[in-house]
Amino acid sequence: MSRTLGALLLCTVAGLAQAESTPEALEWLRKIYRATETLSYTGTFVYQQGDRTETSRIARLAGPAGGTEKLEVLDGTPREILRTRDEIRCYLPESRTVKVDRRSDPRAFPAVLPEQVNSLAEHYDVSMGETRRIAGYDCQAVVLTPKDDLRYGYKLWADARSGMLLKARTFDRNGQTMEQFTFTHLAIGNVPRERLRPPRAAQGWRVEQAGVSPADLGQSGWSVGAQLPGFRKIVEVRRMLRDAQPVTQMVYSDGLAAVSVFIEPMSGRTEEVRIGIASTGAVNVYTREVANHLVTVVGEAPAASVQRIGNTVQYRPQ
Amino acid sequence: MKAKISALMDSELDGQELGEPLAALGRDGDAIETWRMYHLISDALQGRVLLANDCVRRVAARLAEEPILVGPLPGEVMRPERARWFVPSALAASVAAVAFVGWMAFAPQQGAAPRVAPVAQAPQPAPAQVAAVARSAKDTPARLPITAATRDYLIAHQAYSPRISLQGMAPYVRSVSAESAPAKP
Repeated sequence: MSRTLGALLLCTVAGLAQAESTPEALEWLRKIYRATETLSYTGTFVYQQGDRTETSRIARLAGPAGGTEKLEVLDGTPREILRTRDEIRCYLPESRTVKVDRRSDPRAFPAVLPEQVNSLAEHYDVSMGETRRIAGYDCQAVVLTPKDDLRYGYKLWADARSGMLLKARTFDRNGQTMEQFTFTHLAIGNVPRERLRPPRAAQGWRVEQAGVSPADLGQSGWSVGAQLPGFRKIVEVRRMLRDAQPVTQMVYSDGLAAVSVFIEPMSGRTEEVRIGIASTGAVNVYTREVANHLVTVVGEAPAASVQRIGNTVQYRPQ
Repeated sequence: MKAKISALMDSELDGQELGEPLAALGRDGDAIETWRMYHLISDALQGRVLLANDCVRRVAARLAEEPILVGPLPGEVMRPERARWFVPSALAASVAAVAFVGWMAFAPQQGAAPRVAPVAQAPQPAPAQVAAVARSAKDTPARLPITAATRDYLIAHQAYSPRISLQGMAPYVRSVSAESAPAKP
């Protein structure tokens, strides 16, 4: 009897040891965050999702004000995105549009500090993976396994020396890949400024301003009910989408995955509204109607989680 | 009453209007017979395989065991595309049913998706049970394609994703990818 109990106890302890985050893995995660924040680099990466792949070029120039980054999609139409700490400009040649998302309050930008990594361990088991060579760099893998079905898991491969992230895979609870980013070429340091110029062709394109401002939706009778465990509201703003009416956006996050809830009036909409769920890679988009308003929930989380948040949106007139 | 039962099946009644037909179904044998007949017609029209003989009893027993959930009846998502022409009289409905059952027996099966609310498969429901069944159908929403309009939400969402702190702006590629996606509006 006591032997059985002992064996059982041993199994339990071994199971726990395997499941828990290790300090070494958490330190690696911190190293990745620091590298993303501080390094300048240029590179080419492939984004894979289902049977689709897309190659893009990326350049980042680190700086005291958060740095400047540029992403250029190399396949299909040459879409480009320029990002500074408080402005994002998307250049979309197909519609000859520049979408500008400017933050009046830079504090609204939810940067995760390396010190906050420990809180991730509440919802993910962070463990060490294998070592492997990617794009010429010797990489260390770190695995974030979710503790529940509400979020996806992540496997990250980072340069053993600098901590620069070279590959990131998002997987569901069956271990199936939802999407993957892999650098095929990377040069760290020494980024010429002209690599970060906006596209010259974009002069004369239509500019759509998001006009982001802080908001408090609770005062207007709207509420998002029982939230997902570990997800807390990180920001709430009013903004424009296209040139339509203002939309309210609330963002919930567990520190890694994020879910946005958009609420906008149905009246005045010209295009048809379709109720249901759409997916692209690890992102699910759930649309429903509440009190003659359109509720759109966008999240890097399993469809059931996105839907669960969407179904708790309520309106109580005051 | 027959018109009301038909409207009930089509999810066309709201809160207060529901009471009368549901009460009738609870006590009135004719009402229950009408309810069954309309469902037979519906099954024939939709090409569904006919239900087993004691299905009514088994479904009722299962419903009795389930917890009672009260929720709003869903709107257009649930509304089946059912013809209204069989409302006027039971006679016309019966003739139509016989005609269609006969026709369906020889017509090729269309493999139609079960778009009709499960309400239509659960005879003799009590009000709360109707809501519970309807609720479970809402848990499996329609699958939609990603459209150019979705991209605006993706861009707006991406800006606030903490993933940026981990990975830089690479994940932004998702929000502009929609433009090259095969599924466009």
